[in-house]
Amino acid sequence: MYSRRWSKRWSGIAGYLIGAMVLVYSSHRLPALLPGDFVTAMFASSHVTLTAEQDAQLRAWYIHRPDFGEYLLGLLRLDWGYSFAFLTPVSRLILEALPWTLLLAGSAHVLSMVLGFWAGVEAAWRRGGRVEKAAVGLMTVLEGLPEIATGVALLLLFALHAGWFPAAGAQTVYARLSLWAWLLDVLHHLALPLATLVLAYLPGNFLLTRASMVMVLGEPFVQTARAKGLPPLRVRYRHAARNALLPMVTRLGLRIAFMVTGVLVVETIHSYPGLGTLLFNAIAKRDLPLIQGIVLFSSLIVLAVNLALDWVYGRIDPRAAHAP
Amino acid sequence: MHLDPFARLQSDPWFLSGLVLASVLGLAALIGPAMVPYDPHDMSFTPLAPPSAAHWLGVNDGGMDILAELLLGLRNTVAFGMSAGGLALVLAVLIGVAAAWTGGWADALIMRLADVLLAIPAVMVLIVSAAFFRPEPLSLALLLALLTWPSTAKGIRAQALVIKNRRHILASRQMGASSGRIIVRHLVPELFPLYWVGFAAKARMAMFMEATLAFLGLFDPSRKSLGLMISFALKYYYLDIWWNWLLPPVLALSLLIMAVTFLAVSLEKRFDPRLQETL
Repeated sequence: MYSRRWSKRWSGIAGYLIGAMVLVYSSHRLPALLPGDFVTAMFASSHVTLTAEQDAQLRAWYIHRPDFGEYLLGLLRLDWGYSFAFLTPVSRLILEALPWTLLLAGSAHVLSMVLGFWAGVEAAWRRGGRVEKAAVGLMTVLEGLPEIATGVALLLLFALHAGWFPAAGAQTVYARLSLWAWLLDVLHHLALPLATLVLAYLPGNFLLTRASMVMVLGEPFVQTARAKGLPPLRVRYRHAARNALLPMVTRLGLRIAFMVTGVLVVETIHSYPGLGTLLFNAIAKRDLPLIQGIVLFSSLIVLAVNLALDWVYGRIDPRAAHAP
Repeated sequence: MHLDPFARLQSDPWFLSGLVLASVLGLAALIGPAMVPYDPHDMSFTPLAPPSAAHWLGVNDGGMDILAELLLGLRNTVAFGMSAGGLALVLAVLIGVAAAWTGGWADALIMRLADVLLAIPAVMVLIVSAAFFRPEPLSLALLLALLTWPSTAKGIRAQALVIKNRRHILASRQMGASSGRIIVRHLVPELFPLYWVGFAAKARMAMFMEATLAFLGLFDPSRKSLGLMISFALKYYYLDIWWNWLLPPVLALSLLIMAVTFLAVSLEKRFDPRLQETL
């Protein structure tokens, strides 16, 4: 039993490690695959003008090909290259933007998971009722709205038309605020992008929880719990909902990779200074080292989050740990 | 499953509304660009002119007719979604059926490869390829298909394994039918409903992806697309022209994704064996 459990755990980790190595290796090989004189080709069509020295540096960075081990060590030492559009090391730009993305994406995932799970459980419990049907309809419509559309609509309505929320940024710059005022200011700036993301993630979580909860409610053990005369709230959450949570965690892992796109677009629309906006600007300025750095970094984060979810899954479902 | 599998779908309001929306948008994408008398690349009109009888949605900052742009952009998004979805489906069917039929180490190897691909975020690979190599949209669609076949292939493999052990397959093996014949005559046709589920899900994801990449400015700037229109119009949000310039592409994109979502959800509800009980 034990050896099987461990071999399963390790084969999962090995999958992610291989995935990470494939990504790092492709990133390492990328410059070699580029056509001819790409430096001139890229920067000729951008707004950035390089001095002769910078041009030579950029060429040297891409022509100098460290072997794979050296490249990997460089990554670990935060030597990710130099951004010629921002005149700053790539690693510093990424580390400055990262907290904002983590705040935005993290709170969006937590909020949409809690809300979607609660609403999904309650909807399945009231299956067939009018409220449940309306909720399913509304969520299916929301599921069809892309973040680009909701983001633009919220921006036009609440930032430009009503003026209730700021249209850009993550905090008021140069405002020397006390800690509480600063926190409020950050939340005020966070509201619109967060609402956009929650609207994008919530429907999927709701529909999935409802579907799995409906299946769980048909199981004999739920009938047993009811027949024992347990209070409905206890049956719903302690007995049934715990089992309905599992598919959600699995699916979250699969979907996180695609959710990265959502954060990119929403940050750009609301000019939120996270990794997405940084990537957008890097693309606009054709800043190759920065694009490469952000993409590699966020791919590795996606892998790490998926690995963590696998571990969580084993924790909340004893069956997963013992499954053959 | 031997009855008409679409009979029950025809009474599903989600399927019907999705079908109507998709047909209208599909028609607009197909014949729309030919109906507008302007070339969307023609820059000879008054920039930022408001809507008029000549230009129904007005003119953008570059002096191009917005309606002509919109229809061509819609066509490009739909074409990208259909080609990426179709390619991913073909790969998923070939690989899923092959894995289920051969079994053994080949099956295990293919499934491990699928796990590795599932772990790699396709968006990021696409962004880097688009930024560094500037490929044709069709090459990007192919790349997207190469990265996203696993989730559909897993579903097809699972169902193929179920069908593989049914009695009629065992009977035809007993009677000496070759593997090729059983796969082509029995396995592939009997999985047919799953193809629609897979295609709708993949096409939806691909249209989403196209809009995102275009919005980020990763396609050739002269290629018309809804995402790029939104990105340009957003720069002028403070002017009073957002309703004729920004709103149309946002609406078109939302309706398109919504139509495909409705179709995907109703097909999945109808044909996904795991969801049969939750109807």
